[in-house]
Amino acid sequence: MIGGRRPIAGRKIADRRVRVERPHAPYFRYSGPGQLVAREAASERPKTATGRFLARLKNVALGRPLANEEEIGERLSKKKALAIFSSDAISSSAYATEEILKVLIAVAAGAALAYSVGISIAIAGLLAVVSVSYRQVCRAYPSGGGAYVVARDNLSQLLGLIAAAALLIDYVMTVAVSTASAIEQIQSIAPQVYPFRIEVAALSISLITIGNLRGLRESGNIFAIPTYLFIGLALLMIGTGLVRVLAGDVTPLHQQNVFHPPSPEPLTVFLLLKAFASGSVALTGVEAIANGVPAFKPPESRNAANTMTAMAILLGVLFVGITIVAHAFNIVPTGPGGDSVVALEAKTIFGSGSVLVLAFAIATALILFLAANTSFNAFPRLAAILAQDGFMPRQFGFRGDRLAYSYGIVLLAAIAFGILYAFGGDTHALIPLYSVGVFVCFTLSQIGMVKHWRAVRERGWRWRAAINAIGAVLTFVVLIVVASVKFVDGAYLVVLLIPTLVALMLFISRQYQASARELAVRPGLVVPLPHREERVVIPIPGINRAVIQAVNVGRSIGDDVRAVFISEEPDEAARIRARWEQQVPGVPLVVVESPYRALVGPLLAYLDVLDRAWPPDKEAPITFVIVPEYVARSWWERILYNQSARRLRTALLGRPHTVVVNVPYRREDPSTLDSTLSPESAPPPPGA
Amino acid sequence: MSNPEQPPFRRAVIALNGGPADERIVRLAAELARPSRAELVAVHVVEIDWTLPLDADVAGRSDEAQRVLDEAEAVAEQVHYKIEPVLLQARDVAAALVDEASERRADLLLIGLSYKTRFGGDFAIGRTVPYVLKNAPCAVWVVREPIVEEQQ
Repeated sequence: MIGGRRPIAGRKIADRRVRVERPHAPYFRYSGPGQLVAREAASERPKTATGRFLARLKNVALGRPLANEEEIGERLSKKKALAIFSSDAISSSAYATEEILKVLIAVAAGAALAYSVGISIAIAGLLAVVSVSYRQVCRAYPSGGGAYVVARDNLSQLLGLIAAAALLIDYVMTVAVSTASAIEQIQSIAPQVYPFRIEVAALSISLITIGNLRGLRESGNIFAIPTYLFIGLALLMIGTGLVRVLAGDVTPLHQQNVFHPPSPEPLTVFLLLKAFASGSVALTGVEAIANGVPAFKPPESRNAANTMTAMAILLGVLFVGITIVAHAFNIVPTGPGGDSVVALEAKTIFGSGSVLVLAFAIATALILFLAANTSFNAFPRLAAILAQDGFMPRQFGFRGDRLAYSYGIVLLAAIAFGILYAFGGDTHALIPLYSVGVFVCFTLSQIGMVKHWRAVRERGWRWRAAINAIGAVLTFVVLIVVASVKFVDGAYLVVLLIPTLVALMLFISRQYQASARELAVRPGLVVPLPHREERVVIPIPGINRAVIQAVNVGRSIGDDVRAVFISEEPDEAARIRARWEQQVPGVPLVVVESPYRALVGPLLAYLDVLDRAWPPDKEAPITFVIVPEYVARSWWERILYNQSARRLRTALLGRPHTVVVNVPYRREDPSTLDSTLSPESAPPPPGA
Repeated sequence: MSNPEQPPFRRAVIALNGGPADERIVRLAAELARPSRAELVAVHVVEIDWTLPLDADVAGRSDEAQRVLDEAEAVAEQVHYKIEPVLLQARDVAAALVDEASERRADLLLIGLSYKTRFGGDFAIGRTVPYVLKNAPCAVWVVREPIVEEQQ
């Protein structure tokens, strides 16, 4: 960084001074001797007009790049955290009742619908156990106790990976199910949306993706309002409904559009278990608070644990309340394109066409979109942790221009939309894939917590371990029930997918470990001076300025320099040799005649021959293959030039003891050869 | 400067010496300059002794000289203000500062001063500040660092 220097005369002789230019200033900042920090201008500098246009477009869509120090680390109050972390769990009350009813309706004459209330209470009981268990996780892991971390630290890496795979599936399914369900809510106020539900899903996922790529933070009030609006309106609806039930003011709803199950079924324990398994989707998202403990205001663990309890109570009340009211008013699921159960309930209680129905539908849709957004925060963060642990490609650990884990965000959006598209945007069809992963996570993290308490043995560890043990047993039983009763409906996909993902992660880890072993430098090793000899080989297409430049670079690397000319015609070879010997003395030219017109093959064979001819008692030399290259100025020039050079580089990639050096020749550069080369010797460029 | 209706300054030269006072005076200057959107020029002078030509390649190669200005620029960016960093080579720091302020028609020169004592306990003001106070055509503000406990 040698700056230019401009003398300034000064008013007096003693005032003379020199202004020193600072060419590094737009791109770097010195933070100490020999230490530079790159500025925004240095981070990405597109060279072409198209590149600059695309970069501008990206800036408009995603915002200007942010520096690391611009990260906002806002802590959340309990009220805000409840809204932000609970949107996933609470929003599941919008479709969990419907899932129970869709199973029970299969029994003739609706004889089993009465069981919905009992099943919802049983699920609320399970929720109580799970939330009490997760309170322990909040206390034990103030740095955030996702199922992966708990299982990895307390059980084993493999079980940690199983939890991670289940979590990744869970996050993808949250986006798919929440988006599908949100669109169903929109349908209840705008039925004409139904034929375009996939397009609406694509639009909403795209908007959430762009928002997250811009570095959307869940700390704003914008995230709290829909959650509290939904909770408030849902409680009002349930309260009004229950008052009407107690007052005997119940007019059962006579629906025209009723969901028809594929085939009628008898009332069996299996059917009830299946309804329980479907309704247990209400528990999805419960672990979000335990994952996000560091985001709470201090004392983090206590605040998170209390928020967990508040969330569980709210979710339980909403879920059981919605189910009781639905049963009391004889509300059953509708067929494709019809209203959701909660929408029907709102219409029945608030009166069809009222402002409250509209507000409730909007609030429900918004909280469901927020639930999808929760996954957009959690999935990339988990992927980044896995990448840091070496179980996912390292790209997932890199943060993009806006400090967001861009690769994870884009992957989540792509898979979630793919699933939505494949299942036709139908919430009911997606549910069987959902619950299995959730209960795998619950079970593993609870077992991990039992081991944790046994290991730390702090005050009260016995009852804490007992709570987690009960949670583990219960969630494991539910896992078996969910996986078996919904196996045929689609749970088998998850049962297959989890081991596949684990195998993939183990494969990635093994690859990284193998490469790390190969690249490792023994600590304490003082690197000796290089002692291998160098050999320079320059493949030439003729004699031109680019070739001469490459020869000069070759001469600066070592003394053993030779040019190789692969020729199809002996006459042309003789001409080139005559000129070469006259114009480039001191550098031997090897002509390889190629009667089969191949270029790369004969050169590789020549390099092999050179290697074999090397004395066996000496260490093999490093061969520098210097490839002259003509720098193209536009995309069409790239098609015209350097095709042979490109093929050569590809062929030489990975060849042992070989270094490929590209020597670019730019037309714009002032050439030192102008005075020494005649004009007719300049064209043609190499590799054309 | 005496008229309270007028902005305190329109263009100020901030003299940086690489010491801990630099951050303080850059922040102060930025805050004072903000209401009137005054121009701030941060100057760091590298003294060239007489054994070398004045235009010797010294400051351009000095990471330390670059760091002084880069850090000042970073401090200004933190408080959302723009400064123009200037790196100079001169035979005498004080003369270069005065001349730079004069040529740029600056109406304020801000200079930091560290609290140092001579052997015997007297305050050592150095030679740059007195020269600037005596010769600068514009107003001069000297910001002395706080005295740390051990030095009292």
